[in-house]
Amino acid sequence: MKYSAMLLLAAMGSLTVQAQAESDPLQERPDKQAPLPSFPKIPDQTYLTPRPLSAIPEGAFGDKVRLGYQLFVNTQQLRDKYVGNELNCTNCHMDAGRKANASPLWGAYFAYPAYRKKDNKVSSFEERIQGCFNYSMNGKAPASASPELVALSAYAYWLGMGGLMDEANISGPVPELSDAELVKGAKREDFPLPEILAKAMTVEQRANLPGRGYPEIPKPEQAYSPERGKEVYVAHCQTCHSVDGQGQAIAGVYALPPLWGPKSYNWGAGMHRVNTAAFFIHENMPFGKSMQLTNQQAWDVAAYINSHERPQDPRSKGDVKQAQEKYHNDSDYYGVEVDGKVLGTESYPIFPKKS
Amino acid sequence: MKIKTFVIGLTLCSGYAAASVAPSGKQLMEIIPQPAQLCVSCHGVEGQGVEPLGPRLAGLSKQYISTQLQHFQAGVRQNATMMPMAMTLQGDGIEQVANYFSAKPANEVKPVIRGEQVVFNDDTARLAYQGDWSRGLPACVTCHGPSGLGGGLFPRLAGQQASYIKTQLLAWQSGTRKGDVDGMMANVANKLTAAEVDALANYFANLK
Repeated sequence: MKYSAMLLLAAMGSLTVQAQAESDPLQERPDKQAPLPSFPKIPDQTYLTPRPLSAIPEGAFGDKVRLGYQLFVNTQQLRDKYVGNELNCTNCHMDAGRKANASPLWGAYFAYPAYRKKDNKVSSFEERIQGCFNYSMNGKAPASASPELVALSAYAYWLGMGGLMDEANISGPVPELSDAELVKGAKREDFPLPEILAKAMTVEQRANLPGRGYPEIPKPEQAYSPERGKEVYVAHCQTCHSVDGQGQAIAGVYALPPLWGPKSYNWGAGMHRVNTAAFFIHENMPFGKSMQLTNQQAWDVAAYINSHERPQDPRSKGDVKQAQEKYHNDSDYYGVEVDGKVLGTESYPIFPKKS
Repeated sequence: MKIKTFVIGLTLCSGYAAASVAPSGKQLMEIIPQPAQLCVSCHGVEGQGVEPLGPRLAGLSKQYISTQLQHFQAGVRQNATMMPMAMTLQGDGIEQVANYFSAKPANEVKPVIRGEQVVFNDDTARLAYQGDWSRGLPACVTCHGPSGLGGGLFPRLAGQQASYIKTQLLAWQSGTRKGDVDGMMANVANKLTAAEVDALANYFANLK
């Protein structure tokens, strides 16, 4: 019963995505950071539950999965190699990429490769992660098939596959895959799956598992406002993220991440969009959810956070106006004048060395 | 005056007297800023804590100590001993006390960074490092830092007295301790079982 309800919802989700893709030109932007499809949250929804980490098998495949977890939670071990800010993947993908409605890795793994009609281009799962390194991590992505991308792919696959197998009452370890298979992602007809799973859901249904991405919230009643957002920030956010948005480091680790400025995500990251940030915040903040922000508060505080300067958009060729027209004007503040300054014109360096 | 003599006497009896060269009462009076002189009887001259009279203060940030003293004064944090004690601090008293104890050296604990260890056989260590999101419980180290070293408004847990950590978690549960933004800490504490409270208190107290 639970399983079939999940399938039905997954199917409904896929319809929504198609409808969005046709009406939404944002889906066709020439970058690897196209907005995640977001659906409103459904009450009493059940979600895929990954297996406990203690179930990761011994051996070479299990080692890749474990390395993936370690890189995902302590991404700072790649600082100056591939990472150029103070963030860790788990800052936005909570519970080490396992939490539903916090862009879980298990949801993403079955959603790639993602095909784009316009330029007939396909982003594999590893290419999507490369996008995270270039934008969200303000760094320089590891090369295709590198141990890091294999490990992150293996971890994502293991989380998703174990969860799907449990849902379908398939016992035993998650089948091992080659590195070449792992980095492609699972949204393809030739993806190796246990037969029961292959029959249980279509590729499209698996690509739209409930809990994927951040849940969409209604548009705000009043146009979002950084000024009102500042009040929300002071009241609910700054204890952890600091008065100046620079987060808080303990023993050199920013578990409480910087939200803007040189140590945060750059102008190309998905989170720089007010809508994406509002969806994330409404669902996942304040940390541990001791209270619920209103929709309006979530939009306003997202606007406040994202109307500060941050590292440059790596796609910019040096002309903010040009980059704005090509990649922005998209529920975001890049190229917009705030407090007398056009954001993007005094942006911080891309992939700076840790000072 | 009478209380000062009493305090110094207590101090010398408890802990500090064991040091190789114990300063005289008069010397102590010169070392310790006046507003902090009352504190040392229960918290130790070095802020090392005197169990069960007072928790360890060395290793706590200036910001945290000041905020908590204000909370005692305002009754946001209720404690029969500490509320009147905090009321004795006037003017820049809170600042002096916070400066004095936050400057004391913390017990040495080697930070273990989150993500280093994947699988925890110990449920308590797992709770501290990975939380339990099936219950909406975040990892303790997210806010309290690697190995619970603390910083800013988040107190150090590493090396704190187990009995104190326990009474505080219980105080969060019962509501005699408040002052967390949006009830964040109360929200966490209320999800912990009695056994988890005990286990976490012992876990952080014994981190090396």
